Amino acid sequence: MPWIMLVLVVVAAFAIYFLIWASTQAQIELIRSGQAPQQGGPTIAQLQETLLIVTPARVQDFGVSVVAGFGSVMLIVFAASHVGTEFGWGTFRTLLAHGASRDGFLASKAVSLVLYAVVFMIVGTAAAIAGSYAVSSVAGLSVGTGVDLAEVARVAAKSGYTFLPYMALALAIAVWAKSAGAGIAAGLVVYFAEGLVATLLVSLNRDYAQIVNWGLSRNASALTRTASGQGGPATQDPTASTLPDPTQAAIVLAVYTVIFLALAYWRLRSRDVTVGG
Amino acid sequence: MTVQPHEVVLRSTGLVKRFGSIVAVDGLDLEVRRGEVVGLLGPNGAGKSTTIGMVLGLITPTAGTAEVLGRDVRVRREDALAGVGAMLEVTSFYPYLSGRDNLAAIAILRGGGALARVDPLLARLGLAQRGGSKFRTYSLGMRQRLGIASTLLGDPALVILDEPANGLDPAGQREIRELIRELAGEDRGVLLASHLLHEVEQVCDRVLVIKKGKLIASGTLAEVTRGASYFEIVVDDKARAAQIVRGLGVKEIRETPTGLDVVTDPGRGAELNRALASAGLYASAIVPRASSLEDVFMELTETEAPSAPTSS
Repeated sequence: MPWIMLVLVVVAAFAIYFLIWASTQAQIELIRSGQAPQQGGPTIAQLQETLLIVTPARVQDFGVSVVAGFGSVMLIVFAASHVGTEFGWGTFRTLLAHGASRDGFLASKAVSLVLYAVVFMIVGTAAAIAGSYAVSSVAGLSVGTGVDLAEVARVAAKSGYTFLPYMALALAIAVWAKSAGAGIAAGLVVYFAEGLVATLLVSLNRDYAQIVNWGLSRNASALTRTASGQGGPATQDPTASTLPDPTQAAIVLAVYTVIFLALAYWRLRSRDVTVGG
Repeated sequence: MTVQPHEVVLRSTGLVKRFGSIVAVDGLDLEVRRGEVVGLLGPNGAGKSTTIGMVLGLITPTAGTAEVLGRDVRVRREDALAGVGAMLEVTSFYPYLSGRDNLAAIAILRGGGALARVDPLLARLGLAQRGGSKFRTYSLGMRQRLGIASTLLGDPALVILDEPANGLDPAGQREIRELIRELAGEDRGVLLASHLLHEVEQVCDRVLVIKKGKLIASGTLAEVTRGASYFEIVVDDKARAAQIVRGLGVKEIRETPTGLDVVTDPGRGAELNRALASAGLYASAIVPRASSLEDVFMELTETEAPSAPTSS
């Protein structure tokens, strides 16, 4: 599974770069040939401006957000599976019977998840950079000064940081339910539903921001919005002006991560391990 | 088989486990010494696996203690388990790893030269040829063998085997019996939980019979089966014979197709013969029978658990 996910993110990064270029180029050709409706649609100049997001200079805006988009879902799935399958296979019980400690088990799982998230972001971002150069070359776009590696690394690190509480939540639910499926379901529901509800509430009344800004999604958005100076999905959020302060966001996400891990730890320590774990 | 006065490797004192209102284990005392094989017997749900779970620190006792090599499992679990190799009833390994890699993973966890024992143990358990195959392709018997191999990675003083012969063919079962005796011969203590009473009868030095979490009998095989020896009496008038035997103070009499089985002290054969003859009843045969462990087990576990063990 870990290798498959790395292959998927590499393929996805390349594919999206090529799809963006191919679809934009196709629209430009349609307008040039007079086959596309002129009124209401984008102009050639606008489409050419859009096409610039595939250039290496914009990897920190576009490429990293593509990887982060895939990563958030994949890493929730991975975190829950990484722990949940140990219960499903009964290997957690086997490891304990051979002298492993429960603390050590959870610590090794948490550390390996963080390391995997780092590797995932590095591989995904590298694929995005490679995709960017490949598409720029095919499209004949200027690569300019190329990739700003330091900026890309900074943005990728911040994006990767926002995964941690979701991964910790998936892990905690998998431990409580002794099931990978439960961890995946809970992690994905919180990831998608909480963000949606928070955005909806703030759109209805900005005062709700005082409440929902203590949730996961708003703090993750606050961090990814400032991760990149110009782009990223968070900047398209009409409620972006009410997002929490980035420092507060980082602290809140860290606190959530610690709480979820502590809950998993407490449950793992106090549980009687019978058949299956 | 003789019990040698060797070091105690496992001692539990007053182990109790309650799951809500259900008492799974009720004040269990047990002891396993180096060089002996102790059988843990009981019907399904008697508390065998729960007892093993508490000994391994997988299940927290409601009361009582379990010590391995003098180390309290609740207080010094990792230290205590360094001296234990355990195979649980359901053998579980990583399905995507080979048998060899699964053992290697546990060996790394064990440390202390365990990695060097992987291949010799695969050979010892007859898995050398299939050591490189994925665990998920293993038959039930091969999984059991791998489970047993894993118990020996840490060169343990105490080996705990929960139903090790599950899924093995008769030849495999015999090999496992021989292996268990070898383990005791290597000065390890072995705690064997098994449903196969003939297996227990052949390899165990002592047995512990538990029912509803209580120890109802313990001792050497001879001690446990002695109390349930009986006489097979072949006689025509069963009703009258039973009345006469009951008059001798015998409480347990079972009717058989050919006469009676009379459960009493093995030294009372002549007395029974004399009483029947005096009443004009001449038995065709009065044969002393030694109960098998299975007879004793069935007898013990079909009746209500007493408050104290029959012997210890």
